[in-house]
Amino acid sequence: MSLSSALSIAQSALLNTSRQTSVVSRNISESSNADYSRRSAVLVSSENGARVVSIVRATNDVLFRQGLSALSSYSAQATLRDGLNTLTVDVYGNEYSSSPALVLGQFQEALQTYSANPSSVNVAEAALEAAKQVVSVLNSGSDAIQAFRSDTDRSILGAVGELNSLLVDFKKANDEVVQGTNVGQDVNDALDRRDGILKKISEFLPVTAIRRSGNDLMLVTTSGATLFETVPREVTFTPAGGFAPGLDGNGIYVDGVPLAPGTGGNTSAGGKLAAMLQLRDDVANGMQAQLDEIARGLIASFTERGPNDALPPMAGLFVQNGTPIAPGPGPLVNGLAQLIAINPLFDFAQGGTPTLLRDGGANGAAYVVNASGGSGYADLLVSYARRMEEPMAFDTAAGIQATISLTDYSAETIGWFEGIRQDSARAAESRSALLSRTREALSNATGVNIDEEMTLMLDLEHTYQASARLLRTVDDMLASLLNAIR
Amino acid sequence: MKTSFISSLGVADSVRTHLMRMQTEISKLEKEVVTGRVADTGLALGARTGQSVSLERDIDRLGGIITSNALVGARLSATQSGLKSLSDLAQQFLSTMTAAVAGAVDPEISKADAKTLVTTMTGVLNASLNGENIFAGVNTDVRPINDFFAAGSPAQAAMASAFQTHFGFAHTDPAAGAVDAAQITDFLNNVIEPMFMGADWTGAMNWSEATDETISARITLTETTQASVSANTDGVRQLAMAGAVVAFFLDGELGEIAQDAVIRFSASKVGQATVSIARVQAQAGIIEQRVAAASDRLQMQIDIFRGKVSDLVEIDPYEASTRVSNLLSQIETAYTLTSRLRQLSLVNYL
Repeated sequence: MSLSSALSIAQSALLNTSRQTSVVSRNISESSNADYSRRSAVLVSSENGARVVSIVRATNDVLFRQGLSALSSYSAQATLRDGLNTLTVDVYGNEYSSSPALVLGQFQEALQTYSANPSSVNVAEAALEAAKQVVSVLNSGSDAIQAFRSDTDRSILGAVGELNSLLVDFKKANDEVVQGTNVGQDVNDALDRRDGILKKISEFLPVTAIRRSGNDLMLVTTSGATLFETVPREVTFTPAGGFAPGLDGNGIYVDGVPLAPGTGGNTSAGGKLAAMLQLRDDVANGMQAQLDEIARGLIASFTERGPNDALPPMAGLFVQNGTPIAPGPGPLVNGLAQLIAINPLFDFAQGGTPTLLRDGGANGAAYVVNASGGSGYADLLVSYARRMEEPMAFDTAAGIQATISLTDYSAETIGWFEGIRQDSARAAESRSALLSRTREALSNATGVNIDEEMTLMLDLEHTYQASARLLRTVDDMLASLLNAIR
Repeated sequence: MKTSFISSLGVADSVRTHLMRMQTEISKLEKEVVTGRVADTGLALGARTGQSVSLERDIDRLGGIITSNALVGARLSATQSGLKSLSDLAQQFLSTMTAAVAGAVDPEISKADAKTLVTTMTGVLNASLNGENIFAGVNTDVRPINDFFAAGSPAQAAMASAFQTHFGFAHTDPAAGAVDAAQITDFLNNVIEPMFMGADWTGAMNWSEATDETISARITLTETTQASVSANTDGVRQLAMAGAVVAFFLDGELGEIAQDAVIRFSASKVGQATVSIARVQAQAGIIEQRVAAASDRLQMQIDIFRGKVSDLVEIDPYEASTRVSNLLSQIETAYTLTSRLRQLSLVNYL
């Protein structure tokens, strides 16, 4: 051992300290970046003193994986919840003010007033006005549903595009990692970037990352389709031009494999794509089917049946776009809520007579029930009001299995929808809690603690001072040696 | 090597998420305190939302039925007062006729009384309420009883021609003086009475334009009742007949004996009319009571429904405001904590 070796050790100590300081300062500067993993410089002892061999990135694969799955499940649930919130306001209005249940109630009230006051033309027109309100709520409700479906379809297209471009970014980051790893470079920054992209991808789809040699990642969706393998696989989706009630839209294909839509309020979907499919087809179509059933129930309740109900039922006050044939006792007629209209024969504004409601006879003289033509006749009005209270069979395809009255059915539909919405909001809450919990755990495992970095910096400072002092001492020693020789 | 168990980002994040959660909660609670109801019915009740919507709707609908019942009640009480007037008229006329049968009244006075009876009765029966002629059956937009004394009255014509057909001469013909009591009684019982009590009442004689069918009304969600009295009811026909025969046939050439027979016939019909009208009065009274009871029941139902709705969607304002103040103090603590945490950094001590 010699003074010169002491000098070189102190020198390398200075070098180590400055590299470590640079790592600490990097850590501090990235301390608020959620995608950043804390780095640390690893020292190895050698003959000439310690040496920094590598910069190690803190990782926790288990927590990271948990984080990804929590993220995709929350993102699905939040998408569903937001979609349901939009739908409830679009279709039912604030506090259900434009729900079929409520306007139906108002119509029944108007009908009751009319039956107590059958000779009044004003009251007849008020009843007709209320009937128009029911029709308009059904029409605008189904228009809102179909518009919502188109909007969702467009959002899906946008999301698929975003996902594809994320996959392209992912390839870049992955290539950088693989190449860097192969040549032994520091790939930590690329790893951070790749993890960040992976998080974004899992908002769209639930993915499993499979690690392969050379730090290469392969992405597989939980349903088994390959999303990324050396190169991105294509996610395809063709938006539909328009939507017809009852028909499902186009599916999303990951590498040719169709993506299954989510089911249930506490959705089975992972990632927002599946949740959007669920909203577009399952939920919106279910709501539409119920509106259609309400429309069918209305047309059926107001069919004309002639004196003593002896004649075959024909459409009365409510018609399916001018068709005099009333829909039968079943099954569901898709899109009926869009097609339901007030029979022009009843509508004063279209040259009709509202009193047909009181007297019958919209389908010819044989259907007139008020034979004497007296203006105080209320029996038919009373029987219409009753029919809306009588149980009828509704199609189970619309999600509510029931033989109940039209009035009750319209309220049940709100229950059906709100049941899903409540489930969804609750699940969103618990999934959001899980997400923030895993995020916190991951951040605690891999994130930066500034206090820790500061103490490290103090240590480094001391080491640096000591090394510098060492240098000076050796320098002094050498100087005194040289002085002795002189 | 990493030695810490918590990251700076983790600390900041957890305070932030909790703060955000509390703020969302507080905006919800504020709404609840102000409105006294849950902030979002659908989220609070889920599948039971349908129940609350249906209850609230039923409250409105039942309220509507109570309103329409008030209308029915008004019609029925107008009907009652009409029937009361008819029955008073009948009583009054009965006393005149009883006196006349005893021969204590000048036929002219009987005739004038009969005229008054028919005219007043027409007025009573043509009463209208709210634009509806209450005794018209379902034919509420026409006045049910036509004026018997109007020129060219079909009722008078029908009675005159019936007399002509039966006896071969008009009642104003001097030959009518020869008609005896048995003949005129036979004529009244077998010709005139069927005219009043049968189809001619609304047909050839056209006394009444009312329909037999009366107005039905739905007085609860499940109960329907007939809620008016038609001018075609027996009592009205008998009363009209009693008045009309006296007013019409005494105004001719009938002998004293025949006139006496007409008065006897009239007296007996007034008696029958009083009984019939009393029966109708009783029926109307029962319906009136039923309607009132129905409204009471509906009101009770509404109260029960209100209670149920309140159980479902209303919140305890005291609880909510306590929770608000709790949350507020929690948030304040969180703020204090955040600023403390910011100060609590090693940087400040170096």
